[in-house]
Amino acid sequence: MRRREVRRTYDRIAEHFAQTRAHAWPDVERFIETETEGSADSTALDLGCGNGRHAELLVPHVDTVVCADLSRSILETARDRTGGRTVELLQTDAADLPLRSESVDVAVYIAALHHLPTRATRLRSLDELARVLAPSGRALVSVWSTVHPTFEATTGFDTTVDWTLPDGETVDRFYHIYDPEEFERDVRDSAGDVQDVFTSNGNCYAVLGTDRD
Amino acid sequence: MKETLMDILCCPLDKETLELEVTQTDQSQTETEIIDGELVCAECGTKYPIEDGIPNLLPPDMRE
Repeated sequence: MRRREVRRTYDRIAEHFAQTRAHAWPDVERFIETETEGSADSTALDLGCGNGRHAELLVPHVDTVVCADLSRSILETARDRTGGRTVELLQTDAADLPLRSESVDVAVYIAALHHLPTRATRLRSLDELARVLAPSGRALVSVWSTVHPTFEATTGFDTTVDWTLPDGETVDRFYHIYDPEEFERDVRDSAGDVQDVFTSNGNCYAVLGTDRD
Repeated sequence: MKETLMDILCCPLDKETLELEVTQTDQSQTETEIIDGELVCAECGTKYPIEDGIPNLLPPDMRE
């Protein structure tokens, strides 16, 4: 099963991967600054948190930050980066969230949805994200896209992308590279209420709310 | 994990209530940290381990 393979891959590359993901993305920083204003007692979720570079931006603004990832080794790098107990760590599958409905006020789901192997699983993951969002909650979702100069294709496709470890060994990772129209269709077909869709720096983004707003 | 996290956790499979069984805690900080234990779904009985403070809430078929 491909999701297990993705987990094993990130368990293996976690430490090196974490070192190479030093900085938060500006689009994510802007979203967090806007959405966390005046929400000191709220709960934030960083889904597919990786090394916690975006979770650490959430920490000063909200009461509880939940870092969720498929890989335990990656969660340990997030714990190191965010300084121990300022965040809650959860090992989870992004398509089966262990969070109560309407329990999250602000969520970021950055560069992780594209690791889920089928459209059905990706839609289920977006449905789950919408389920856990509180009324008037907001989530920012990003995926790698065909608009990135790395790719020549203009329609979405499945691929594997090598990760080269410091010793030269390569480990491959599954990606679904989205084209912008396809991404917009998927987020609109999910249970999330689409507030905004845009592309930036080779990625597609969507801001999701809930129809319970 | 902190015990207060139980307010928002549920079973990933059926979204029902989880029960917390604590094996080891760390009380050196202002809020007690659960280091080792188990989360058990009150409905389906699935068990989710907590090891070194991190709950593993992967569905059982995703664990290995």
